[in-house]
Amino acid sequence: MATTERTAEILQGLHDAVVDFEEDDTVALAHAAIDEGVDAYNAIMNGLARGMETVGDLYARQEYFVPELLLCADALYAALDILRPHLQIEAQAEPRKIILGVVEGDIHDIGKNLVKVMFDAAGWEVIDLVADVKIERFAEEQKRTGAQVVGISALMTTSMLAMPKIIKMVKDGDPNVRVLVGGAPINSDIAATYGADGYADNAGEAVAAAQIMVARA
Amino acid sequence: MSSTRVFDLLQGKHVDRVPLYHFLIGFCARNVGYTIADMYADPIKSYQAQAWTFEQYGIDGGPDYGYASYGGWEFGGEVKMPEGEWQQAPSHVTFPVNTLDDLDSLTLPDVTTAGSLPLAMEFSKLQQQNGDLITVILGGNFSVAGNICPPSMLCRWMLKRPDDAHKLLRIASDHIIDVVRYWADTFGADNVVPNLWEPVAANDIISPRQFEQFVLPYIKETNERILAMGVKHILYHICGEQNANLPLWAQIPMGDPGLVTFGHQVTLTKAVEYFGDSCVILGNVSPALVQTGTPQQVYQACRSAILEAKDAPRGFMLMSGCELPPMASPYNVYMMKKAIEDFGYY
Repeated sequence: MATTERTAEILQGLHDAVVDFEEDDTVALAHAAIDEGVDAYNAIMNGLARGMETVGDLYARQEYFVPELLLCADALYAALDILRPHLQIEAQAEPRKIILGVVEGDIHDIGKNLVKVMFDAAGWEVIDLVADVKIERFAEEQKRTGAQVVGISALMTTSMLAMPKIIKMVKDGDPNVRVLVGGAPINSDIAATYGADGYADNAGEAVAAAQIMVARA
Repeated sequence: MSSTRVFDLLQGKHVDRVPLYHFLIGFCARNVGYTIADMYADPIKSYQAQAWTFEQYGIDGGPDYGYASYGGWEFGGEVKMPEGEWQQAPSHVTFPVNTLDDLDSLTLPDVTTAGSLPLAMEFSKLQQQNGDLITVILGGNFSVAGNICPPSMLCRWMLKRPDDAHKLLRIASDHIIDVVRYWADTFGADNVVPNLWEPVAANDIISPRQFEQFVLPYIKETNERILAMGVKHILYHICGEQNANLPLWAQIPMGDPGLVTFGHQVTLTKAVEYFGDSCVILGNVSPALVQTGTPQQVYQACRSAILEAKDAPRGFMLMSGCELPPMASPYNVYMMKKAIEDFGYY
């Protein structure tokens, strides 16, 4: 069992390695955490996730852009792959679930992928439908998984028109489900017009927006 | 259809009013009852639909052929023509470069046969027959590179494998030169206006520092080589959020005058400040507003744009900030013309 000091050192190392997008370091530190008895949940939430929070702040301050975020995500996922099998499921609360997808007819998924990283890092269970998702699938997957939030992305002015139909399908299935939308042509006014419960301008804002929506539910 | 005002602006002549310029391929398809795929797969239908719609809406300038995913198909990837209710333009199915080995074996394609270029050439011959501007639409250097491989891969390479990013950008740049030279040889360099679109280099994706390192040198060199062929005017669509890049864009020669088009993210005042002395300014009405707004909102946005930029030193053309949405309401599109009629005369 790692000492308190060693645990803190590993957690800080995981944080720093994510921020510095040093994938080799996150992998080494994830192995060290397991080998030295650091709780995997602690390593994820207080090492990796805290690192992604810092990354989100850097993105919000326009010190980091998409290239940096992608590499931070690579470092994060490399360590998550090692740590997740060691999670003691029964010791944790049921994670919140979100369905993510880019609407039918639209293959632009960088923004959605960054949103996925932020939710993964925040401990949510993400059901990623990827891109060009048939409009019916959002409601079908919500029903199948019981996700509290459905997140919908569109980059094109054409594909954004699918959003109100998707939102109606989701709400018809369960009016308590919260819908979060985003993407270049969307703004908060359009989101409200479409019947969405929330809007996020970028990946960094998405988790907070979802948490607020769920708290209101 | 009349391109007179556009030609006059390019020649430095007085125009009676602000021209209305558009890129609205999908909208034209809907307007005349064609599919959007027709517009990209059939140059004759594409030209017809645009010419008829331009006449109907009083649009200056002429029809264009092209799409934002340019580059993937031409280098051996696969694109899908738009289909269904929600697609606007051809999109990637596969990218030609997915690994470093793919990059190592990447070669410049034959521009007379590659991808969409035979269709684009057929379209440009229609432009020539009808006395239009002869345009060839390509991505900007960074966007072409980001269509040859997934843009997320290009982003990662910039930070982790910069030499490979530069290698890809070199190939993309040489390809753009090859295409423009083909058009210049066919139609005469001084009759060709290359239209280059650069969405991937927006600050929504990369930093101004990355732009300076990976975008600026390639676009600058490419434009210098294009202008050295005898091309007089280059149109650059500086797409999306590019405010932090503007001082760098301003270092790039665009011709005399060049043409630069902006989305709503860049104010026209700023556009005139950086480019007004050397370029005709085009923009910047939000496409989403034209699609979702009321006619009154569109009219007011156009009025503001006209009053903000109509006195730009080299001229101003009213345009939506990116492709006008296919599903925009016809009356909203008419509002753009009405605003010009009411506020655009000199």
